[in-house]
Amino acid sequence: MAATVTQQPQKLVLLTGDSWGMLACLCTVLWHLPAVPALNRTGDPGPGPSIQKTYDLTRYLEHQLRSLAGTYLNYLGPPFNEPDFNPPRLGAETLPRATVNLDVWQNLSDKLRLTQNYEAYSHLLCYLRGLNRQAATAELRRSLAHFCTSLQGLLGSIAGVMAALGYPLPQPLPGTEPTWSPDPAHSDFLQKMDDFWLLKELQTWLWRSAKDFNRLKKKMQPPAAAVTLRLEAHGF
Amino acid sequence: MADCIARVMDFTLCLTQRSRMVDSKRMRMTSNFQWPLLTFILLYLMNQVNSQKKGAPHDLKCITNNLQVWDCSWKAPSGAGHGTFYEVCIENGSYSCYPSEKTNIKIPALSPGDHEVVISPLRDFGSSISKFILSEKNVSLIPDTPEILNLSADFPTSTLHLKWSDRGSVLPRHSNVIWEIKILRKKNMEIVKSVTHNTTLNGKDTVHHWSWTSDMPLECATHYVGIRCYVDDTHFSGHKEWSDWSQLKNVSWSPDSQTKVFPQDKVILVGSDVIVCCVTRDNVSSAQIGLTKCPLIHLDGKNVAIKIHNISVSASSGTNVVFTTEDNIYGTVLFAGYPPDIPQKLNCETYDLKEIVCSWNPGRPTALVGPRVTSYTLFESFSGKNVRFKRTEASTNESHQLFFQMLPNQEIYNFTLNAHNPLGQSESMILVNITEKVYPHSPTSVKVKDVNSTAVTLSWRLPGNFAKIKFLCQIEINKTNSIQELRNVTIKGVENSSYLVAVDKLNPYTIYTFRIRCSTETFWKWSKWSNEKQYLTTEAIPSKGPDTWREWSSDGKNLIIYWKPLPVNEANGKILSYNVSCSSDEETQSLSEIPDPQHKAELQLDKNDYIISVVAKNSVGSSPPSKIASMEIPNDDLKIEQAVGMGNGIPLTWNYDPNMTCDYVIKWCNSSRSEPCLMDWKKVPSNSTATVIESDQFRPGVRYHFFLYGCRNQGYQLLRSIIGYIEELAPIVAPNFTVEDTSADSILVKWEDIPVEELRGFLRGYLFYFEKGERDTSKMRSLESGRSDVKVKNITDISQKTLRIADLQGKTSYHLVLRAYTDGGMGPEKSMFVVTKENSVGLIIAILIPVAVAIIVGVVTSILCYRKREWIKETFYPDIPNPENCKALQFQKSVCQGNSTLKTLEMNPCTPNSVEVLETRSIVPKIEDTEIISPVAEHLEDSSDAEPENHVVVSYCPPVIEEEIANPGLDEGGGTSQVIYIDIQSMYQPQAKPEEEQENDAVGGAGYKPQMHLPVTSTVEDLAADDDLEKTAGYRPQANVNTWNLVSPDSPRSTDSNSEIVSFGSPCSINSRQFLIPPKDEDSPKSNGGGWSFTNFFQNKPND
Repeated sequence: MAATVTQQPQKLVLLTGDSWGMLACLCTVLWHLPAVPALNRTGDPGPGPSIQKTYDLTRYLEHQLRSLAGTYLNYLGPPFNEPDFNPPRLGAETLPRATVNLDVWQNLSDKLRLTQNYEAYSHLLCYLRGLNRQAATAELRRSLAHFCTSLQGLLGSIAGVMAALGYPLPQPLPGTEPTWSPDPAHSDFLQKMDDFWLLKELQTWLWRSAKDFNRLKKKMQPPAAAVTLRLEAHGF
Repeated sequence: MADCIARVMDFTLCLTQRSRMVDSKRMRMTSNFQWPLLTFILLYLMNQVNSQKKGAPHDLKCITNNLQVWDCSWKAPSGAGHGTFYEVCIENGSYSCYPSEKTNIKIPALSPGDHEVVISPLRDFGSSISKFILSEKNVSLIPDTPEILNLSADFPTSTLHLKWSDRGSVLPRHSNVIWEIKILRKKNMEIVKSVTHNTTLNGKDTVHHWSWTSDMPLECATHYVGIRCYVDDTHFSGHKEWSDWSQLKNVSWSPDSQTKVFPQDKVILVGSDVIVCCVTRDNVSSAQIGLTKCPLIHLDGKNVAIKIHNISVSASSGTNVVFTTEDNIYGTVLFAGYPPDIPQKLNCETYDLKEIVCSWNPGRPTALVGPRVTSYTLFESFSGKNVRFKRTEASTNESHQLFFQMLPNQEIYNFTLNAHNPLGQSESMILVNITEKVYPHSPTSVKVKDVNSTAVTLSWRLPGNFAKIKFLCQIEINKTNSIQELRNVTIKGVENSSYLVAVDKLNPYTIYTFRIRCSTETFWKWSKWSNEKQYLTTEAIPSKGPDTWREWSSDGKNLIIYWKPLPVNEANGKILSYNVSCSSDEETQSLSEIPDPQHKAELQLDKNDYIISVVAKNSVGSSPPSKIASMEIPNDDLKIEQAVGMGNGIPLTWNYDPNMTCDYVIKWCNSSRSEPCLMDWKKVPSNSTATVIESDQFRPGVRYHFFLYGCRNQGYQLLRSIIGYIEELAPIVAPNFTVEDTSADSILVKWEDIPVEELRGFLRGYLFYFEKGERDTSKMRSLESGRSDVKVKNITDISQKTLRIADLQGKTSYHLVLRAYTDGGMGPEKSMFVVTKENSVGLIIAILIPVAVAIIVGVVTSILCYRKREWIKETFYPDIPNPENCKALQFQKSVCQGNSTLKTLEMNPCTPNSVEVLETRSIVPKIEDTEIISPVAEHLEDSSDAEPENHVVVSYCPPVIEEEIANPGLDEGGGTSQVIYIDIQSMYQPQAKPEEEQENDAVGGAGYKPQMHLPVTSTVEDLAADDDLEKTAGYRPQANVNTWNLVSPDSPRSTDSNSEIVSFGSPCSINSRQFLIPPKDEDSPKSNGGGWSFTNFFQNKPND
């Protein structure tokens, strides 16, 4: 089960056909090799390591986004790159909102939270690719493509965690596939606002995901740690 | 009545106008017309006056809007009521009358000139008729008010389009019409623009268009437009006036609920002014462009605008303009850039005559990217075809390229490159004959094939359809160790891209490197060089036989044939073997093949004449034979000559000899080698008389032997034998020398020759140095000829092998040094030490003669002395009295040793005098005139710290000298003892006395007592007791040992330094409490009886 899940992102990336995609594919596969039970000779270590890696990847993406956002907001120009720029969220309705009441979020089950994470990043990735196509400079396109690759890896990683926990992947309803196409009626300014919000939502999502995975990790860790400790004590 | 007057005035005015208008005509009238006219005016005036009495129509005014119908109106008489009818009669050639119910009437336009118009009110009997003179000049042309057919707005471009009809069908053709259009903005109708627009009528109703682009987006505020016109008909002489303004039409944007900012995503020219507005229902608090805040301009409602002056160039994502309301922000993006620059350096060429590549430089960047980037279209005018170029990347200054497929049978192309972006367009043109602009690709697939050993064919591919042109190709031929060669070839272009040329005049069996580049015959550009192709040409038979020489072996039985390997350019291949054969008149003998690395052969021959021939063979064939005769013609008068090289070679010259029919041969070998030796040889043509022998094998300092052979009648004769050096060096060893014979004054030295190998040059002589010197001392000193004590002998006769050095000293060590020298320098030195032999006879004589002389002198003297001994005794040894008997002298000697020696030698009888020695204990006042601080005192002063109380002033005799060592602090502290040493004669000198008496009562009472009168063995004195009677009494001899022994150890006066000081004055001091002599000199007083010290040793010496 886990093996089939981890190969799914690989196909997706191959379709994009760029070298970054290939790299991402390789990374993703390597990333999840330990999570594939068939390859894991030391026995099933449980979802712990894959959650840890997903958490690490989330933190890495947070870091990567910080640099990308800086570059991109400078590209958008003032006032978007001003530190106190905080416009109300006009438009950008199709973007998955990361702002949810904390209590509500915490009361969700692990499965639901993981599912929502997965769906959100699927959408965000799609928009991000659209952003990439529109970027005017080659350097910006490179940065965006690099980030997309990493995000693709995160998506695969979440899928791996879900598989390890035995949750099914959310199947997109037919016709609701997020497609990004610039609205011809959309003015450049509104487009810039959307871009701004996309980056902002991404940041919030990554922040929230990091917390989620950290919590999940803690939840999964204690019994495993106890076993390890016991084994070690026995050995000595 | 007033009305009447007014009418008269009016008429007068009318007349006046008439008179003005027809002034020129009147001026031409003759005077006989004036009288009837005046009469007429008078009659008319009377008539008017009469009619006014009753009231009449007045103020006739005519206007026209189409110049065809005049609309004339007048004012009714004052009393006329409704229902008054008028009959208007106009005299216009004929007299026609028109009835009218109103006070106006439309009449067809009258012909030019004055016309009488009579208006008669009908049925109104109170009124009278009015007559007017009407002409076109009194008619006003006022066009109809124009009507705006359509006013539309193009909001994205902020352009208003106005449409109206000129009604030209009712107005005369070719009349100019001036239209005035005004544009008003906002509800308070601010005029923002007023323009005039000229048209010409064409007899038909024409719809006119006029467009205007607003600086403010039309969405921002309502815009109103009005129009009026003015017909400027040149034929119409009347008054022309503007029409009324048309009804205003407006355009406004119907806002939806959303707030919007205009213009949206607009591309504008850098440096222009732009108005941006926000159409909103909220209160806008601020607006900013980029980071700059802008003042708000309030429009209708809550709409606001900002005006941006001189906008600067945008970044790639545009310039953001943002309006902030209480709870939201709205904005737009402006793209400020430049229209495309004229494409620069447009150039079109082809690589293959299939496709034309046009490249250009875009020039100044437009700062517009993405959908606003400059698009280029390349248009070819003859064919009408075009290609487009579009880039999404921000255009940099790099070159752009477009490919245009060539058309068959078209050589001339006229390209127009059009650059276009939202701000404008530009273009650049080029006309090319494409066959002259061929820049071929670099040739590929270069192949080489043999033709023969000196020719190959080169083939390559040059893709393209070049059937119609000719190529000029360059073939670069590189040969190792040779300069490169460039050959130009002209080739006809082909369709199938394959080209072939032959390259000849090559060398056989040589590695060549070929590369090719091409251009068209009408040169445009060279292609890049093709890759290099290396090729080895095939072999050919060797072109020459090898260079041969022969040597007879040392036993003279065998002839050794030598030959040199053929140079590459003559071998023409790899030499496999050599064939050597010898032939005499009788027979021809051939040896077996000698494989290549061996270059000599030995033949056993008798002394017959043989011709030996050597042939080199390679895989293709054999070289021509090179022949050499075996015979050696003897030469008797041979001298060995010397030669020294210059630079790298040794020059040799010889005289021309017509007998020498074939080549000269110079062979050489290292002279140290045994015969037969052969290093190398050189052949020189028979007509030359000089050559320079050069060889890499030559080394400096090595002697070579050169033999010059002349070739005569197929035999060789040795002409000259030369030894030489390429460069002379200094010998590396010193000549080995020995001393053959040594005598007392000469040394015979003999030395040996230096071997040739170690001489390294022609020996020019020896240098012999010699000097006196022992082995140890002079060993380190080098013997330089410059030194005076070194004698040098330069032996230039190199055959001399011995040297006798004469004039040497006997039994002396000599240092001998010998060194050889060549023109290359001095060799090392060899030294030797030789001691000359002793000269024994001389030595014996030198000893015996002085001894004999001494003996003789001694004997003679003895005899003489013996004979004259009485005389001698009288002369040299007379009897003399014994001075010891003199008492005075005795005293003088024992007591006054310190006094002058003169007295000692005086032989006068001594009379004893009284000598007083005074002693003081207390502080002594200064009594003498001259104070002298003796060196002793100075010395003492230095060391006074330690001995504060030991100041002893010693007065010498004969002068009374009192010395006081000033040390006030110490003087007070303790009693300073003073020793006054007074000369006998000056004992009673008054100056000393008072003080002494003052201070020492006891002393004053005592007098001098000669020492001898004093009991020597007197009682032991206590030094501590100052008032000791004996002590104060006078002098006491220092020999009193007991006093010394009694010194208390704690006495401060007993220190060494003190005693030393005291000792200076001690010899004659007489009365002192102090020890003048240190205790260690205990013994001396006993023996001497007086004070002694090292110092007074000098003083006393004369006495001794």
